[in-house]
Amino acid sequence: MSETQAINTDATQVGGTGKVMIDVVNMDKFFGDFQALKNINMKVGEQEVVVVIGPSGSGKSTLIRCINRLERHDRGSIVVDGVELSDDIKAIQNIRRETGMVFQSFNLFPHLSVLDNITLAPRNVRNIPKAEAEATAMELLERVKIPDQARKFPGQMSGGQQQRVAIARSLAMKPKVILFDEPTSALDPEMIKEVLDTMKDLATEGMTMICVTHEMGFAREVADRVVFMADGEIVEVGTPEHFFTNPQEERTRLFLSQIL
Amino acid sequence: MAERAATYLGDDITAALAVDSTPPSSKLSPGDWAKTNLFSSAANTIVTAIVAVAAGLLAFFALRWIINADFAIIRANLRIFMIGQFPREELWRPWASGYVMILGAGLTAGAMARNSHELALSQELESVKEGWGQLLRRFWPIIAASIFFVSFARTVMPYIGLAAAYVLVVVAREVGWRLPAAIRERALFIGVALFIVAMLVIAGTSRLGGYALGLVAFLWALSELSRVESLPTGFAGTAVRFVVALVVAAIVAIVQNLIPHDGFGWEDWGGLHISLFTTVIGITLGMPFGILLALGRKSNLPVLKTASVIFIEFIRGVPLISLLLFSNLMLPLFLPIDFERPADLTLAIIVVTGFSAAYIAEIVRGGLQAVPKGQTEAAQASGMSAAAVQRFIVLPQALRAVIPAMVGQFIALFKDTSLLSIIGLLEFLRVSDTSNAQQEFVGKGLASVTYLFVAIGYWAFAYTMSKESRRLEAKLGVGHR
Ligand SMILES: Nc1ncnc2c1ncn2[C@@H]1O[C@H](COP(=O)(O)OP(=O)(O)OP(=O)(O)O)[C@@H](O)[C@H]1O
Ligand SMILES: [Mg+2]
Repeated sequence: MSETQAINTDATQVGGTGKVMIDVVNMDKFFGDFQALKNINMKVGEQEVVVVIGPSGSGKSTLIRCINRLERHDRGSIVVDGVELSDDIKAIQNIRRETGMVFQSFNLFPHLSVLDNITLAPRNVRNIPKAEAEATAMELLERVKIPDQARKFPGQMSGGQQQRVAIARSLAMKPKVILFDEPTSALDPEMIKEVLDTMKDLATEGMTMICVTHEMGFAREVADRVVFMADGEIVEVGTPEHFFTNPQEERTRLFLSQIL
Repeated sequence: MAERAATYLGDDITAALAVDSTPPSSKLSPGDWAKTNLFSSAANTIVTAIVAVAAGLLAFFALRWIINADFAIIRANLRIFMIGQFPREELWRPWASGYVMILGAGLTAGAMARNSHELALSQELESVKEGWGQLLRRFWPIIAASIFFVSFARTVMPYIGLAAAYVLVVVAREVGWRLPAAIRERALFIGVALFIVAMLVIAGTSRLGGYALGLVAFLWALSELSRVESLPTGFAGTAVRFVVALVVAAIVAIVQNLIPHDGFGWEDWGGLHISLFTTVIGITLGMPFGILLALGRKSNLPVLKTASVIFIEFIRGVPLISLLLFSNLMLPLFLPIDFERPADLTLAIIVVTGFSAAYIAEIVRGGLQAVPKGQTEAAQASGMSAAAVQRFIVLPQALRAVIPAMVGQFIALFKDTSLLSIIGLLEFLRVSDTSNAQQEFVGKGLASVTYLFVAIGYWAFAYTMSKESRRLEAKLGVGHR
């Protein structure tokens, strides 16, 4: 609690089981001349939950979108579960299979039923037989607590239900990591809890997760580490407790005072 | 998904089609209705009065003209208007062909309506089987026009023929509705196959017919095999599927060729028949080509992209007439000397298909752009290949968005078939000219009679298509998104 304590910006000390799941080294990302990410170094351990926070435009989405190659990084390296991301499309697809993603705007497929939304990728990418894929899908819907919605279409459901379907959809591929990009930001307050509860269950079950979210209650409960980003850089890293009690950097304090 | 080979559109659409979307009609008495709609203000009253007088005058002159008009020219040429220069002893062909087509259309329509109905019920949407009254309201222009046409017949045969056609429609639709689910799911294949058979009844069995039926058999076999999950996956499975499907296609084509059935060559087809025929072919062949062109235009491969752009922009940049003339006058000059010159109708069909493909490509491109980026990203993020993303996620959503524009294009194409006369084909509109040039009618100024007759024919089909498109739009607006 002394003022001389150094600010920790090292996001490479892995937690979880200690096995490195995601390894980002000296990574830069440009949009034209604009540098969106500056020299990012970050490791995520197996079964670890990392929460990324930061002001709008700080590069949080860009960071996790680089991890499954929705954006192409320009310098440095990204290794996911031992496979390095390059321009090799096969490697990219292999990484994407192991990496689920949940979006702020759900991005469910509006023309497919909930069941088809969930079974499409397992059947198409993993060649799982239809019956088996549907059985798995029903189990997953059970797990996110909406088994009765299987035949519905996304447009017929509430936002919270849609986001839970989206989580079930990413789980159907049996991923090793799930990336969450502000999964509750587009939801009405009364639906946020049901989605966060689902995410907490996942964390308890040992899923490796990177969550961009400003739900500090969620972070406090399940995050192993919180990473604070600003202007494309990692500014401060610590436990949730650290951020609640003892944030060091001025920008961190300012940001926290706005969201807490 | 694979087992839903028949539709690119997705289940929510299929179900939405069964949901009644007609707004509840207002319950105003005629008097009140007139008061609120016709005489609500002084200005409104004046407009109503002016329009009423104009309409009255128009009706008066029209009636007087109709009473005095001489319809003998229609009576003498009715057959030519409908099917062109068919010899009398070959007349059974168009009739038989028409019945096969009606059978196919009725079966398919009934089966697909039932499919939508079942799906809607399974989603707990409200759905009732469409009554005959509703169907009558949907298709009244065509029904009225067909009765109007037949009323010019000089023998009793056409009356019986038409009545039988309507009986067949009713029966076929009911049968289609009651077919077992397994057959209903394949209704589209049955419909297309029967359509081709209908053509062969007139044209006779031929190599071309073999290819056409073989293609349908190929697609059908592929869709059947894609349901078989015990086949190995990956390249081996794909190879097995293709080979088996090819064998099935070859067998169908060969059997077709073995059937001895001489035809009535299609150089002599004509009338409303070829107008409708070229439209249907232009639509069904133009759709897949158009979609491929639209995807080609978006492709990352420069060769594919440039070729698509050149084709689309060239076709869209010149009038259809010039394309028809080019195909007819110039193309044969480029062909090898010993190459048998294709029939005019064949050339016309190729041109019309290419023409509609180019326009459909641009419509589809608009639809592709309208699919949100998040859809592609979500699909990519799950590891799907680029082709799978297009096939399962992007195209289905793009196509549904452009259905109304597409139907508009179909209507335009139907009316554009009147240009086929430029290359000497005796299409519907041209019959008006040729009949006025006949000895007994020449110089009698009967063109207005025949033009009116032709206009009613075009209008009945174009208006029905436009009504159907608006109905579709209303239905797809129901419920989702
Ligand atoms: N496709 C793009 N083209 C150009 N600039 C982009 C693109 N995507 C993001 N950026 C820019 O990169 C920066 C980081 O964006 P990013 O979306 O990662 O921020 P974020 O931290 O997720 O913000 P938010 O909290 O608003 O979601 C922003 O300045 C943004 O304008
Ligand atoms: Mg963001």
